[in-house]
Amino acid sequence: MIDPFLAWVESTWLSQWVVGSPSMFAFPGILTLHAIGMGFAVGISAAIDLRILGMAPGVPLGELRRFLPILWAGFWLNAVSGVLLLIGYPTKALTNPVFYLKLTLIGAAMVLLVRISRRVFDENVASTRSGGSLDPPAEITSTLRKLAIASLVCWTGAITAGRLLAYTYHRLTQLH
Amino acid sequence: MHDFQVWLVTTIGGRSAIADVMRTAWAWPLAESLHFLGLCLLIGGVGSFDLRLLGIGRRIPIAAMHRFIPCGLLGFAINIATGTLFILTEPDQYIYNPSFHFKLLFMTIGGLNAATFYLTSYRRVFAPDAPLDAPRRAKVIAAISLCAWIGVITGGRLLTFYRPSACEGKQIALLLTCAP
Repeated sequence: MIDPFLAWVESTWLSQWVVGSPSMFAFPGILTLHAIGMGFAVGISAAIDLRILGMAPGVPLGELRRFLPILWAGFWLNAVSGVLLLIGYPTKALTNPVFYLKLTLIGAAMVLLVRISRRVFDENVASTRSGGSLDPPAEITSTLRKLAIASLVCWTGAITAGRLLAYTYHRLTQLH
Repeated sequence: MHDFQVWLVTTIGGRSAIADVMRTAWAWPLAESLHFLGLCLLIGGVGSFDLRLLGIGRRIPIAAMHRFIPCGLLGFAINIATGTLFILTEPDQYIYNPSFHFKLLFMTIGGLNAATFYLTSYRRVFAPDAPLDAPRRAKVIAAISLCAWIGVITGGRLLTFYRPSACEGKQIALLLTCAP
């Protein structure tokens, strides 16, 4: 049922370009962008989590929202490069349970990011937009700390699962 | 340099207790996962400080933002440790790999650039009455830093596409990029 679809994806020019092109901008370049996007998305998300957990206490927590556009740029870079890699090797990814684990963990990390953002960023927007002084310090509750720890755990899991994809697949393409 | 590269590869040889452990099924993938986590901590710590110098989050005191640097240093330490494990296990795959040479070059640039920041800009940027906007020199250093670390990631990620083959008949340049 799924196999003809995967075979069709692999027969498209885009899939064949991603996998077969000798250009360093094809598969190697896309992989590289995927690693760079990860660095910025996970790195900034982790910095927000670590700030919540007590690192860099002098940084006004609400002001870290200025870094969110970079975080989201990294995320979308990875969504696009990830889809391209998936189009390149659909069978390899979609027949591997670890791939679904990776996606689930990323989904959970994004939900946590949105929940953390709502708690520490949204309430402060009004006060800064009016041009006043620094935001009133967002209250770091135990719930917020738990969300931050869960975020770090999810990212760690997602990265590990992603790396294991290279070792745990059992079918590379429809032919192999 | 060629002799030094050959000497390094033969001396390391991939024969050690560490190399034996790294060749077990899970050690290499686990070390790789740690290497990627370290990458994220490095960008999260050093990269976000660079972005602050460049003007993102202007209302955050630069000295306060600098407290994220230990997070970056931890990531860097994790990656030096795990990276050393890879080299100890498969020395020829790195010492003769042009992508690894570029990775080391970008690491050196990143390191010297960071040293330049602490030698030339630290006092001005961290003075109690320092303005929230970083001086131009610090911004240039921050931009170089971001580019250098992105270069390091690129060199690392492309390693696998520049695996050195045998040197037979190849022209040899400044550094060996094939296995003699």
